[in-house]
Amino acid sequence: MSNLTKILIVLLTVSAIFLCGIVVTYIANANNYKEKYTKLSSDRAALEQEKESLNNQLKEKIQQKDDLEKSLSSQVASLKTKEDDLQTKITGIEREKAELLERVNSWASITKDFQATTDKQTQLLSTAQEDVKQLKADQIKLSKELEQTSAAVVEKNALIDAAEAEKRRLIEEKADLQNRLDKIVQTGGNVPAAGAPVTQEKGKAMPSQPANETINLKAQISEVDAKNSLATISIGSADGVKEGMKFHVTRSDEFICDVLIVNVDTEKAVGVLELVQQPPKVGDNASTNL
Amino acid sequence: MSPEAQIRSTKPEAMSNLYTIILAVAFGAVLATAAFVAVKCYFDYNTLFTIP
Repeated sequence: MSNLTKILIVLLTVSAIFLCGIVVTYIANANNYKEKYTKLSSDRAALEQEKESLNNQLKEKIQQKDDLEKSLSSQVASLKTKEDDLQTKITGIEREKAELLERVNSWASITKDFQATTDKQTQLLSTAQEDVKQLKADQIKLSKELEQTSAAVVEKNALIDAAEAEKRRLIEEKADLQNRLDKIVQTGGNVPAAGAPVTQEKGKAMPSQPANETINLKAQISEVDAKNSLATISIGSADGVKEGMKFHVTRSDEFICDVLIVNVDTEKAVGVLELVQQPPKVGDNASTNL
Repeated sequence: MSPEAQIRSTKPEAMSNLYTIILAVAFGAVLATAAFVAVKCYFDYNTLFTIP
């Protein structure tokens, strides 16, 4: 065997091994086109099916859209008719609103005038009420003065009656003495018996003291029966309250009414309300002297 | 070996077993490659020579 043959054998072997390695590497890393084709075919079939279903859905949706469009068109037509009717009604209502606004404005001015008049009347009323209160207070004061004056007049009348009785007695006594003197003068010194005057001598009338002023009792209203005009005070016979006494009810500096006692218990007394200026309340002050 | 004996034997004999082994290795490599390609084609495409 020549050397050239040996070299060729070696080269052939090396190149065969090298090429075989390249082929094996290439085949091992080659793509499996059949598998890819199968996969792509199945994907395509699925997509075709999906496309078909989507087309069907699209047709259904188009049909539904057409139906909906028809119904909406009919609704739009009916709503337009209603809108026209409502527009007509709105026009009428706006006209009525304008008329009502005019009326409201006129009523507002009338109400404003009425309010001003009412305010003036209220002011006049409050002033008149103040005057009435003042007059009532004056009337109460005058009534009290009148009562005191009446009592003084009664006392003076009693004094006058007593003085007239004394005067009549003295006149009768004078007449009797005159008769006796005349008889003495006529009989020449015999003294006749002294006659008794017809009018008997009375005790001297003295002005009475007001009972309440000396007592000066103070109490509080404990119960009020406005229905029967009765009130109960917090003191009774234990403190010197008697039937017929009059208590003056006040609240701070304001006169409320008088209470004429009609029933007396040990610790309380009940009286009738008189000269009521305001309804009395529980806790108001009651005293015999103002 | 004598020249007479060489003339008498008719069976050819390799000049060197080393190069025979080298040639056998190359043949085996080619054969193994062909088998691998065939197996791969068969399992991937279910055929050896036709295009599916």
